[in-house]
Amino acid sequence: MIDTLTPVATPVLAGLADVTFAPALVETFLTRYAYATVFVLLSIGLYMMIASPNLVKKVIGMNLFQTAVFLFFVATAYVEGGGSPVVPTEATPGELAVASPLPHVIVLTAIVVGISLTAVGLALIIRIYTEYGTMNEETLREVRIDE
Amino acid sequence: MTPLEGTLVVFVFVTAVATALFRDVLSAIIVFAAYSLGMAILYTVLLAPDVAMTEAAIGAGVTSILLLLTIAKTSRPASDDLFEEIHVPGLIAVSALALVLLTTVPDAPAVGDPAAPVWSNPDVTQYYIQHTYDDTGVQNAVTAVLAAYRGFDTFGEAVVVFAAGMATLLVLNREVFA
Repeated sequence: MIDTLTPVATPVLAGLADVTFAPALVETFLTRYAYATVFVLLSIGLYMMIASPNLVKKVIGMNLFQTAVFLFFVATAYVEGGGSPVVPTEATPGELAVASPLPHVIVLTAIVVGISLTAVGLALIIRIYTEYGTMNEETLREVRIDE
Repeated sequence: MTPLEGTLVVFVFVTAVATALFRDVLSAIIVFAAYSLGMAILYTVLLAPDVAMTEAAIGAGVTSILLLLTIAKTSRPASDDLFEEIHVPGLIAVSALALVLLTTVPDAPAVGDPAAPVWSNPDVTQYYIQHTYDDTGVQNAVTAVLAAYRGFDTFGEAVVVFAAGMATLLVLNREVFA
């Protein structure tokens, strides 16, 4: 009423649907920045797999997708103000502020499986190239229709 | 979000977009190696040094070498343009997916929140943090889970790598049965 804080800005802001909504949303995304990053990077990787006609770039896109998922796991394991997951030798009662080791382990496994997948994929690409003389998806499709 | 984290997020975003858009495969591979390195630093900042070392060695190292070997053995299409043209249907589909996924972000716990279920669960994370040294005698909890608690998983991983090596040799006609 009388104690309106910003009488000048109020008519301008009144046009917006919810005045307090926008800064709160920005704050929400800043505190959860890792998850937003994961989803954006994952989409870029998927875009490469869909859009790039070059098979090698599709494999790069798959790797990009994978590293985004790894970031998701690592971000869930993180604890503010903690340390890396190394535990002290003496018994420590109560909670120790170190990052959760379990997501790290699953990511280590996934990295190794990912490199295996990449190696097999690239071997297939080399084989396709020696058989058909192309690594371009569209050219490959035309060549295979002609057969 | 600290300034360091913000810088790294911007760096990985820019390098990822550049990887997607560069038409020349060699340029894409080099930018992707930079992306992997940025990602490894981000993992370090998020208290995952084991993951960061593996990512730097395998993501930025071995993957780049495999990709470079592949383009050395095949061809590198001559590029007249610097960037690829935008694939509009793909972009629309992927943007829709990204929007749907981003709507889930506000429901996730804040990054580093000690009350987040992954970290605060007394039966899982807290159990491993408190009992690892007594159970295994290893101070690095990641090593302990990898080699002791989940040793069979790691064995399975070795089987996967072996199978991948066999598959690669078979696909490339390099097998020798003599």
